[in-house]
Amino acid sequence: MHLTAQNTAIVLDSTADFPEAPERFSNWRVVPLYVLFGDESYRDYVELAPPEFYARLRTSEQLPTTSQPTPGDFLVTYEELAAYDRIYSLHISATLSGTYQSATTAAAEIGDKVRTVDSESASAAIAMLGLAIQHRLERGTTDEEVEALVDRYRDRAHLIFTVDTLEFLRRGGRIGRASAWAGQLLHVKPILTIEREVVPLKRVRGNQKAFQEFVSAFTSTTRDTPTLKVGIAHADAPERARQLEKMVHGERPQAEIEIVTTLGAVVGTHAGPGTVGFFWFDDAE
Amino acid sequence: MSDLTLARDLVRASLASLERNRERIDDLNVYPVPDGDTGTNMTMTARAVMEELDQTDTDERTALLKQVTRAALMGARGNSGVILSQIVRGAADALAREATLAEAFRSASDAAYRAVRQPVEGTMLSVIRELAEEAEQQASAANAELLAALVRRGEEAVARTPEQLAVLREAGVVDAGGAGLLELVRGIAASVSGEPLPDAPPARTELGVEAIHQELSRYRYCTAFLIEGDDLDAGGIESELEQLGDSLLVVGDREALKVHVHTDEPGRALAVGTARGVIDRVEIANMHEQTVQREERLLHAVPDAPPAQSAVVAVVAGDGNRMLFESLGATKIVEGGQTMNPSTAELVDAVAAADAQEVILLPNNSNVILSAEQAAELATTPVTVVPTESIQAGLAAMVSFLPERSAADNAAEMSQVLAGVVTGEVTIASRDADLNGVPVRKGRWLGLADGEAVAVGDEFDEVAERVAESLLAEPRMLLTVLTGADAPDLDALLDGIRERHPELELEVQAGGQPHYPLLLSAE
Repeated sequence: MHLTAQNTAIVLDSTADFPEAPERFSNWRVVPLYVLFGDESYRDYVELAPPEFYARLRTSEQLPTTSQPTPGDFLVTYEELAAYDRIYSLHISATLSGTYQSATTAAAEIGDKVRTVDSESASAAIAMLGLAIQHRLERGTTDEEVEALVDRYRDRAHLIFTVDTLEFLRRGGRIGRASAWAGQLLHVKPILTIEREVVPLKRVRGNQKAFQEFVSAFTSTTRDTPTLKVGIAHADAPERARQLEKMVHGERPQAEIEIVTTLGAVVGTHAGPGTVGFFWFDDAE
Repeated sequence: MSDLTLARDLVRASLASLERNRERIDDLNVYPVPDGDTGTNMTMTARAVMEELDQTDTDERTALLKQVTRAALMGARGNSGVILSQIVRGAADALAREATLAEAFRSASDAAYRAVRQPVEGTMLSVIRELAEEAEQQASAANAELLAALVRRGEEAVARTPEQLAVLREAGVVDAGGAGLLELVRGIAASVSGEPLPDAPPARTELGVEAIHQELSRYRYCTAFLIEGDDLDAGGIESELEQLGDSLLVVGDREALKVHVHTDEPGRALAVGTARGVIDRVEIANMHEQTVQREERLLHAVPDAPPAQSAVVAVVAGDGNRMLFESLGATKIVEGGQTMNPSTAELVDAVAAADAQEVILLPNNSNVILSAEQAAELATTPVTVVPTESIQAGLAAMVSFLPERSAADNAAEMSQVLAGVVTGEVTIASRDADLNGVPVRKGRWLGLADGEAVAVGDEFDEVAERVAESLLAEPRMLLTVLTGADAPDLDALLDGIRERHPELELEVQAGGQPHYPLLLSAE
């Protein structure tokens, strides 16, 4: 089947932190997860925008929890896309969330048309995978080419992030067994990545050293080329995002910064304020 | 009875049974993600089905089952809810074909397994499969009898989940999703037989012995026994046992008390009991043995979990510094440093006590490096010495430590960090001397940077400032200050540094080391 942006839709879940996707691309949809403050449930981004969420997080005594979309949420979205022949449904790592499970359960109702993809990653990494697929749809592509791209993306896309405190990851149960190595006393910043689950890379002290780690991880794995795509996501820390943007322009002037975004309420619940994520992928074929 | 009325009765009963256990099931939730919402998610999913049944007036079986399936799918919350929606779908598919109860359970089990990419035993999946097997064995029984057998089999299957799934065993719980499924079946069984639901177990039981054992104890023996007597004083017994160990639990009434304590002296703990009454059901277990066994089990059951590969043994002086090293994950601290160098034997013992596959040894003093290297040769565990010459340097190295990495990788990382660290000290000259042409008189402040005297004087602030400035001569990101047991007031010094280096991150910690009012490092 010949796939184009006219006959193929892309569905993300809201952990891709790309809420403007449907405005930018008529063939894209975003299915929200849920954020719960006690019994009050909000659809991520739709009913609770990031600024309100972080404001509430600062003042609320009760800490939020999150919940994956129901299979029904996906089913409704897939049904709305009846005019499309193919749907790529791209999701947060199945190890971190049941969202992929809900999506595949709904996809089974529709049949072969829907292809669900476990990105094995999170946040802007999902959105950037979608953008790489979209570029190919716009010039015409096939399922084989998209599948090869997904494999290459899982293999070669980079993500590193740092959090101000591991408390949020720990409380949400998202930190696995590598939980013992926080050091709150010395302003220790963990440098983390996601390989299906949250994996520690390094520990450094202070924001400047953390930033330096981002720089050396980025420059040691890239060269300056227009196919180099970059994403930046932050939780209530815009100045750190700007610092990264400036660094990318300086170190790799030809690279394209595709996304600079605020982490939404769902990802923010698990990462906490002050989190900065940095994503890059050289989309050379 | 119409199909709709029957469906409403069954779903209402199963929802009621689930709801009264909702909190207890939330508390059980450790798998796949320990976020404590399985009971809530399953209840919300079942409630979505009930709401659909309350609204509809369809009484045609196939259409009704379709609506139920759709409602479960639309309302499915969380992974447990999604799997439950597939169990409902499987059962509904079979019942639409006028299948038997056994066929419905089999179809439900198959649908649940199909929905999950990598089925894991010890979860809702193994419970629904066992229910299907039981239903097939009892296929000829009447429905009420069959359902009673299913409740019994379900209880067994749920109780078995910790044997099948290591994370449950480790946390001392049964699978939450499986427990929820059992409650749903219990509700259906009660509705069909017309018997009332049994009382739900309490939501939060007393802190269980298993839960306590998740915390590693520094004591060796887990000691548990029962004291029987008249007018037993739990408070008095508690305060006596408190002196003997930790993880203390004394529960019961004035006639019988259950005691649990971790101690190195189980005999004395038992004597506390025999002084008050008659003791019974004595259990004493060597926990170090248990810990080793548990770790071995976990290693086999969860192959992808990286075990702590390496541990750190560090030589440290000062309570504050000790805490800093421990907070960064040092396993053993040997007290020592300037003027109180630990012996090689002490270091060998500490390495053995670290109980790791590989050990990194941080001497943190130039006079300790040699004994550290000797200890490395004598120890039975492989030891890598990272020759740190000061506590500040050791601390900088410690920050980069990750237990899941090998000792060699950690040592390489530490050496790289150390190459970017400069250290300094402020102390009081202990005798007259001449350091690199600088005359030093006993009793005056002496400032060192990278081991060289850079300042001597009567004013602490001046000397300390000179040391700090020579560490910051090259651009640095981070200055760490560890204050000694008798450090003077630092406000003026720190304000000056902040003014001159506005971009610098400055961190002051109470190190508590003797002899050195200030230890400094810049990175």
